[in-house]
Amino acid sequence: MEPSVDITELYAAHRLVLVRLAVLLVDDVASAEDVVQDAFAALARRPDAVKDPSKALAYLRVSVVNGARSALRRRRTARAYAPPHDLSPPSPEDSAVLAEEHREVIAALRALAPRQREVLVLRYWSDLSESEIARTLDIGPGTVKSTASRALVALEKAMQSTSGKEER
Amino acid sequence: MSTTPGTGRAIEERVRAALTARAELVRPEDLRPLAPVVDLRSRWQSPWVLLASAAVVLLVLGVVLQRTGGRERSDDVAPRPDTPRVELPADVGRDWKAADQSTPARLDLDGDGTPERVEFLAEPTKDFDGRIRLQTILSTTGDDAYGIAELGTTIGTTALQPIDADSDGDEELVLWYDDVTAVGGGGYPLVFDLREGLLVRALVEDPELLVRGDVPVPGAGTEHYDMVRIHHYWVEEGRLLSSRSVNAYAAGNMTLLRPETIVVDTWEWTLGQDGVLTPSDAGCLRLGLEAQAPCGANEVDEVPYVSPVATGTIGIGEEAEFTEGYRFTVGLEAFADPSVVVEGSDGRVLTYGLEVGDPRVSTVQPMSVFHDGASLLVTSAADPTYLQVLVQDGDELRALRPVGEVDLENDGDVRTWLTQNGALVTVVAGEGDTWQAWQWMWVSRAEMAALPTGTVCFDDVDDPSTARSC
Repeated sequence: MEPSVDITELYAAHRLVLVRLAVLLVDDVASAEDVVQDAFAALARRPDAVKDPSKALAYLRVSVVNGARSALRRRRTARAYAPPHDLSPPSPEDSAVLAEEHREVIAALRALAPRQREVLVLRYWSDLSESEIARTLDIGPGTVKSTASRALVALEKAMQSTSGKEER
Repeated sequence: MSTTPGTGRAIEERVRAALTARAELVRPEDLRPLAPVVDLRSRWQSPWVLLASAAVVLLVLGVVLQRTGGRERSDDVAPRPDTPRVELPADVGRDWKAADQSTPARLDLDGDGTPERVEFLAEPTKDFDGRIRLQTILSTTGDDAYGIAELGTTIGTTALQPIDADSDGDEELVLWYDDVTAVGGGGYPLVFDLREGLLVRALVEDPELLVRGDVPVPGAGTEHYDMVRIHHYWVEEGRLLSSRSVNAYAAGNMTLLRPETIVVDTWEWTLGQDGVLTPSDAGCLRLGLEAQAPCGANEVDEVPYVSPVATGTIGIGEEAEFTEGYRFTVGLEAFADPSVVVEGSDGRVLTYGLEVGDPRVSTVQPMSVFHDGASLLVTSAADPTYLQVLVQDGDELRALRPVGEVDLENDGDVRTWLTQNGALVTVVAGEGDTWQAWQWMWVSRAEMAALPTGTVCFDDVDDPSTARSC
């Protein structure tokens, strides 16, 4: 049976945007590429999971968000067992070239709960609607709204806390 | 989704700018060279795994019993044909290197109060899908102990919190297998107990109860959806627990139609001397997306999402603007026959002729049906039973044909409406005062089908906000 979607074409068309999405969720490019590679590999194993090519990006996006969450979960669990000197968060080398005001936001974003971070990234970077975010994360639209609202408050607090520490 | 004007808007813009800046640091030339995506070989097809499996089979030494007497008759120790048998791990992988991005586990395997450090050594394979050698030195004796695990990947091996499932005072190591192919996540935990100086993987009496993910109910699916039960497992205060939703939910089109709060049955897993994890009833939980609580009396799932109803419509000569997702305006024109005219922000103009008197278009998009472009629900003030869903297909609007178990109707025992969050809902009268709720989704280029979302009762079916549990 012919695959319903052309994986190679999808890979060429969407890989960059998905790696960018993943890097916002897992911080470093290598992990982001792995997450995206896994998403495509999963689709390659089940090409009939997406019958309509127009839905492939949404499917891959779900897969990337799940993969990123899984990667973070592994990393978080790892931290629980790591000695104190290993506790520093992953710090992408290239964050050094981010402007200061962006760096502060990205650092605060890492402090959020995974779902809060996912909602903010999907809303403000992927430009998804509440309904689309709800579908992507498999949560209710009301939860999307409340999570986003709480996430922004938490983000501001985290930034204030960081700048407070720096001032001291 | 704005918070408050002023500071809320400012933080939103700041987040948007920071995310864009961070994302754009990843340039096309930074990515690894483009490689064709190929189907990954099953790990069971790996010659290493096959060889190792053969070795394990040869090394099956029967039931490993934690008996200390040492004078058992051989026929007491020998396995009976129908009893589960744990397998001793093969002593392979001494020269494997520490798994990438892995963190050694620390837990008290031998019960002397001093935690052992368990290293994870990865079998080198091209696809990082080999086995993991679990290796430690026991603090009590200074002896090596090892085990073998297959976790689907050798990258990022870490352990969950340890458990004491056999209540013997020492701890068992819990790893987990992730099924990366499962949308929404899937997999199961692997428990390793120190037996006879080896880290032996526990068997599971009812493995279908110790998984996570959405598991299809055999025979309950249709062409357009599966019915799935939601499974979880977790470690809590040194105990391994798992749950399964009491009800099954429709899953299709990459969407799981579940209420936010569901009722689940739970089990606690205990490890017997035979090396088998056995479930025991741990009661019922009310499980929300972010919180859980013990069930009250006669606890049932939250009512399916059927309200509030979207009531806003436009008529002939009026326009509405849609700003979520694909941005467009829609107008109803009537130069001859009435027509829907969509003008997209990308300059496209799509027209669809209607054959109904006094048409109305909802000012909420039926996004549960279609959200990758313009979607519209058309009704008629002249004919309350008329319902039509139009969706964008490239440069044209297309009317979706309802297929599946439910008709798209709004009359008598079949009622249909659109909710404010864009769900197109149909309820069908059932036994007594119950109604079966359904939600419509796009299932092919020209078709949509309704998926079941649960049973609901109404104080007044003409007012969906009176929906309640039955």
